[in-house]
Amino acid sequence: MQPNDPNIKWVEEPKLGITGKMYLPLLFQGLTTTTKHLFGPKVTVSFPEARPTVGNPLIYRGVHRLNKDEQGRVQCVACFLCATACPAHCIDIIGAESPWPDREKYPQSFVIDELRCIFCGMCEEACPVDAIELTSLLDLTGRSREEMIFDKEKLLSVYDQTKDAEPMKSASMGGVVC
Amino acid sequence: MESLTTITIVAIIKVAILIGALMTAAAYLVLLERWIAAWVQDRLGPNRVGVPLTNIRLFGLGQPLADGLKFIFKEENVPEQVDKFLFTVAPISILTAALAIFAVIPFGSSLPPDLGIPGIHHAIQLVVAPQLDVGLIYVFALSSIAVYGVILGGWASNSKYSFLGGLRSSAQLIAYELPLGLGILGVVLFAGSLRLEPIIDQQAASGVWNVFVQPLGFVVFLVASFAESARLPFDLPEAEQELVGGYHTEYSGMRLLMYLIAEFLHMVTAAFLITILFLGGWHFWGITGSGGDVTWPIAILRVIVLTVKVLLVIVFFMMVRWSWPRFRFDQLMALAWKVMLPLGLVNFVAVAFVSEFAWNAQEHRVSSTWAVVLAMWVVAIISWWLAGSLSPLATDNRPRTDLPDAASFGELN
Repeated sequence: MQPNDPNIKWVEEPKLGITGKMYLPLLFQGLTTTTKHLFGPKVTVSFPEARPTVGNPLIYRGVHRLNKDEQGRVQCVACFLCATACPAHCIDIIGAESPWPDREKYPQSFVIDELRCIFCGMCEEACPVDAIELTSLLDLTGRSREEMIFDKEKLLSVYDQTKDAEPMKSASMGGVVC
Repeated sequence: MESLTTITIVAIIKVAILIGALMTAAAYLVLLERWIAAWVQDRLGPNRVGVPLTNIRLFGLGQPLADGLKFIFKEENVPEQVDKFLFTVAPISILTAALAIFAVIPFGSSLPPDLGIPGIHHAIQLVVAPQLDVGLIYVFALSSIAVYGVILGGWASNSKYSFLGGLRSSAQLIAYELPLGLGILGVVLFAGSLRLEPIIDQQAASGVWNVFVQPLGFVVFLVASFAESARLPFDLPEAEQELVGGYHTEYSGMRLLMYLIAEFLHMVTAAFLITILFLGGWHFWGITGSGGDVTWPIAILRVIVLTVKVLLVIVFFMMVRWSWPRFRFDQLMALAWKVMLPLGLVNFVAVAFVSEFAWNAQEHRVSSTWAVVLAMWVVAIISWWLAGSLSPLATDNRPRTDLPDAASFGELN
């Protein structure tokens, strides 16, 4: 497109008023703004000492957990719906015949690669028994790639760690949010 | 009269104190700059680094040490295409010039006489080169060498980014030396001397700082010194958002550190000059006295007052950085040639008029002081208003259609 193209519409800039032409009043306006912020409240969170506040932990998507039922058994029935829904293919389940009479299958192994996970929450949406949930734990760190692959025990321990602070989300399962 | 040896030893001690203070100041000004930047943006700023190898944080006061260590251990990359000699000379020359300016800048008034040190009979002046009659000319000469450092760096780098950055900044520095000089001329006329100490003495004796008598000269000098030290809103030489790095694109390691220190020293120099020329130097009403008879408390007080004033000016420099957007290059040039130069001339003529007919630095009369101050403020406001309304800075962004090849130029792209 050429600069003199008739289709170009030039928007006139607003004319400067007396303060704009004198320029110094606008400097003092800017200086008052910056000075206000100089002494104003700060938004930085000094992370290791101070924790950032998570607005609503129930809808935050942090580290996964595997829920347990009242008898302390893993709630997962190894239906593979979460692994199918996962866009990052980070869930790896090995199903086996359940040792308990009320369900057919249970996960012999349930592994999530937290480095591949994109924390989209699709697994949580897909789960028919509300076994997998995302917690509000946000500082997920590890010293090696192996450490960041969470197996079933690790995921169940995340549940033990967070069950008091964050009850289960589904009302049908005794949670607080439908 | 002192012997040559004594004079040399005293001078060397002063130089050592000054260079030590300046280097420390430059390091801590970087920290202050980052703090103010952070606070203005509602952040906390660097507050982690304290005493090395401990967990003591000291509000981040160890940060300059860490920054310095980082620079020392960084790889010093010299690109293949550069002119190796000039590439090294350029940062050295700019840093040397920036440090050498402080030879004539007083950092206090003087120590009390009769120190009891054998061989010293006069009061020691707190300036490295006292009695240097060409003081301000010397400052000007050395601040012009900064242009050499910039353009040599850009040229020696043999890279288009550096070269364009160097050209931009040399155009800017040369353009703003004129208003800088015009701002100083008024002060020199009032004081009747090119040395900085009599300029302070004159302001202290009359008790009227030059900023009150010459508001126009103050504004012109302030704007010009912002541009000379390449601070926002005039930091076009290294506009981080538009250029890669300006004239020091190709620099790294210690050579880059020299450029950065020189930049901060330029700001410190500008703050010292503003304080000394317009804000009364070490003088403050009722605290510091004004005469040459100095006792220990007064000598120390004068150093403190001067330092506090300089620090306040530096804080102002840093606050302005976050208050004003950067000028476009044509606006920068228009401001220098169309606004600041005429205003500086108006101020110069007014000062010449006043000092010829109404103001006498030697026999200062209180009755005429108020009339002079009032007249100068009226002149300042009227000329500022005229300059603002007659030559507004160009804001039209549309392409020029009056050129015959404007259309074909578009096709080429």
